[in-house]
Amino acid sequence: MSTADWIVLAVSLCAIIAYGLYKSSATKNLDGYFLSNRTMPWYLVLLSIMGTQASAVTFLSAPGQAYTDGMRFVQYYFGLPLAMIILCISFVPIFHRLKVYTAYEFLESRFDLKTRTLTSLLFLLQRGVSTGISIYAPAIILSSLLGWNIYLTNAFMGGLLIIYTVSGGAKAVAYTQQLQMIIIFSGMLMAGYMVVHLLPPGVGFVDALRVGGKMGKLNVITTGVSGNGFNWNDRYNIWSGLIGGFFLALSYFGTDQSQVGRYLTAKSLSESRIGLLMNGLVKVPMQFFILLIGVLVFTFYQFHPAPFFFNQVQVNKMANTPYRDSMQLMQLKYDLLTKKKSVAVAKWVSATRAQQGEEKAEANLKLLNRQTEEIRSDFTRLISKSKVGGDSNDTNYIFLRFVIDYLPKGLVGLLIAVIFLAAWGSIAASLNSLASSTVVDIHLKFVRRDASPEADYSISKWYTFAWGVFSIVIAMFATNMGSLIEAVNVLGSLFYGVILGVFLVAFYVKQVKGNAVFISAVMVEAAIVLLFWKSAIGFLWLNAIGALGVVAVAMLLQLLTGKKNGNPDGLPQ
Amino acid sequence: MPPGDKPPIFSSWNTWYILVLLFLVVLITGFCLFTNYFS
Repeated sequence: MSTADWIVLAVSLCAIIAYGLYKSSATKNLDGYFLSNRTMPWYLVLLSIMGTQASAVTFLSAPGQAYTDGMRFVQYYFGLPLAMIILCISFVPIFHRLKVYTAYEFLESRFDLKTRTLTSLLFLLQRGVSTGISIYAPAIILSSLLGWNIYLTNAFMGGLLIIYTVSGGAKAVAYTQQLQMIIIFSGMLMAGYMVVHLLPPGVGFVDALRVGGKMGKLNVITTGVSGNGFNWNDRYNIWSGLIGGFFLALSYFGTDQSQVGRYLTAKSLSESRIGLLMNGLVKVPMQFFILLIGVLVFTFYQFHPAPFFFNQVQVNKMANTPYRDSMQLMQLKYDLLTKKKSVAVAKWVSATRAQQGEEKAEANLKLLNRQTEEIRSDFTRLISKSKVGGDSNDTNYIFLRFVIDYLPKGLVGLLIAVIFLAAWGSIAASLNSLASSTVVDIHLKFVRRDASPEADYSISKWYTFAWGVFSIVIAMFATNMGSLIEAVNVLGSLFYGVILGVFLVAFYVKQVKGNAVFISAVMVEAAIVLLFWKSAIGFLWLNAIGALGVVAVAMLLQLLTGKKNGNPDGLPQ
Repeated sequence: MPPGDKPPIFSSWNTWYILVLLFLVVLITGFCLFTNYFS
């Protein structure tokens, strides 16, 4: 990185920390620290929700996803707008009416203390570990591409934000997320502009889209139906997006404290709802824009030689294995094909303009792209075979490698700042939610019930700090365990379904009481862990099995026992 | 939904449902046209 890049990076990060500290004047009690005294307008709630959901990997991985698989990933968010309406009608008014700090508090008034404690512990376990991985995931990409020390990168990625998160609580988190989103979108807009600007003379934005479209990268809508009928293994299509995306959004925004804590800071029920509803409307266009940048990067690399493998660290590791010769042979073939590809794409553009020989030029370009992709896939398999470890998923490295190799001085620094800020936005919200659940659901219930507001405020700060340190420690351990990112996705799926199931029973199955839902949650959680351990079922299915399992078993238990304990609405009586 | 509870901006949640469904229809149609135009 150049001096200009370091200056831009340092100024951006310092500006966020300073702004966070400036906005840290929270009232010294739980309401001020965790809910910002419920004073936030809807647009800050919206930016906070978006900043919490969009982690660093969103901005690193999504363009790479479009580069390799096209834009169909956007369909994953199609269920979000409808889920926002359901949340606004059912979940949000009850949280506001009860004036809760955490989503799990509601479960005590609806069921009992043990059900509340169980769900909050499941949340703390899952969110605590995944926050560590939120630090590690962008840190490993930055350290690989820039040659930074991974431990120092982890420490900076997770350490600096602790300053303002501990100091200012939810208020500092929300205000910094506002500034972070402005910087992030400015950086991404400039990157999008630069990709088009760097295309060869005479090749414009529309030409770039045509190349992407012809190579199958603008596949925004896919049905998942092939010659053999509907493909259930196809991850992204309109049906999985509308149905699967709906349940995922309902679970994430309705039961995950990192999101619930954001919209509870709103100054009224109406402001919470507008923030959530607007999120439903802007999320899909935002994701479309990020993916479009990936398609433009793909077109750029049709005209310019693309790296054989974007993560150079893996290439270097492979050079020290017995597979070195195989790799070099692959690389030679690949370099030859990329040279042919840049000639072929120029021919295709000319043929399109002349409206002559277009089909032949297109077929040639498609063939060359297929061949280069096959070599990349072969190399990924060779990495797995060689057991060199490290991150073999090259998708996450594509966009940042392009930024480092081709963007001008200063802008590289800004886009690295974008990665840091995106990470900070979601990590800060996670730390705040981990602390709020620890203090409200555990500490004040089991450790010290009668502390003063100042003491509660003080212990909240300590818990935020402790969760920050815990997350960095997890990130440091993750450094030696390459597959932990997937492990955390699995961990989330092990718990998310059961938590959603408990909330679905709370809202929609009024006759089920506390004991039934608690025993059901414990039984289904054990069954989920056993199912995962014993069988080869895809982990994404565990969400649905967990949620529906809790509802079904709880209803059955209630029917068998017939006992009544609990409050059917969870509202004050 | 608690009694007397009103949605933001519009007077009924049905309007929000219609708006969001229309939004999705327009979005998906627009995406289909976009995909077809460039492929």
